Amino acid sequence: MPDPFDETLEEMLAYPEKDSSEDLFVVDVMRRVRAERRRRRVILFLFGGIGALFGVAGAVMLSGAIGQLFTGVLSSTVLMQLPLFAVAAIAFYIWVMNDDLAIGR
Amino acid sequence: MISDRELVARITAVDDQDALRLLVERHQGAVRGFLRRLLAGDEGTADDLAQETFILAYRKLHTLKSGGSLVSWLHSIAYRQFLQHGRKHARQTVMAEPPERGHDPRGAVEAEVTIPRLMALLSEEQRACMTLAYAAGMSHPEISGVTGFPLGTVKSHIDRGKRKLQEWLREYDHSIPGKPGHDGKRRPNRA
Repeated sequence: MPDPFDETLEEMLAYPEKDSSEDLFVVDVMRRVRAERRRRRVILFLFGGIGALFGVAGAVMLSGAIGQLFTGVLSSTVLMQLPLFAVAAIAFYIWVMNDDLAIGR
Repeated sequence: MISDRELVARITAVDDQDALRLLVERHQGAVRGFLRRLLAGDEGTADDLAQETFILAYRKLHTLKSGGSLVSWLHSIAYRQFLQHGRKHARQTVMAEPPERGHDPRGAVEAEVTIPRLMALLSEEQRACMTLAYAAGMSHPEISGVTGFPLGTVKSHIDRGKRKLQEWLREYDHSIPGKPGHDGKRRPNRA
């Protein structure tokens, strides 16, 4: 049996009619989306550039003797710190690109 | 009219900004309305959260399952934004301030002043369930999907919220038809 009070509630709780702030809201969202895309491009470019630099550096270093790479060019302290920096960079990247991984349906 | 599914496909495939604009235009009323009801009339915060909702939806659009309801998904993100906002800012309790006697919340002019106050009478969970049921027209299983509450809890929140509003309206001399007892079957799409 339908409840007549449901109709009253629908009438009462209905969302307000279209107002003038709607266009402004859409403009704001689109502006933020553009900024988001720009930020993504900068991050991708930055990290891509860093990756390329490391790649070039690695190629240069590998061109020499492998033994020299690990003993002569990089000290053991630097070698131990490198993974730490790499993990920190990856963590930062994930945080910036996916600040809420929990939402996925 | 282009369907939501097609718009989503365009955005995820080629990052079509026109499709995104259309999607935001189409759904902003519902998302903002939902958050305004949840925040009992705090329109500024509601609009900020609605913006966050669309930004997050844009980022995560590729995770929307094909065949999944975009409307439910957007409401789900909006609800999580609301909960997150509550956790971040030790929420200030919204003081229930019932409208004065003689105000009819069903009147279009007074509604936007009175309804937020009426919503403040309800708990957050009741506000969410009542708004999704009566303003967004969702079925109980859909509400359960959006809020994460079990189906029985959804029904109970709606029933209690409804009773509270009915009692208030009766107390303030408004003529109320019927009694509480939402059966969830009045609308065709309601379970």
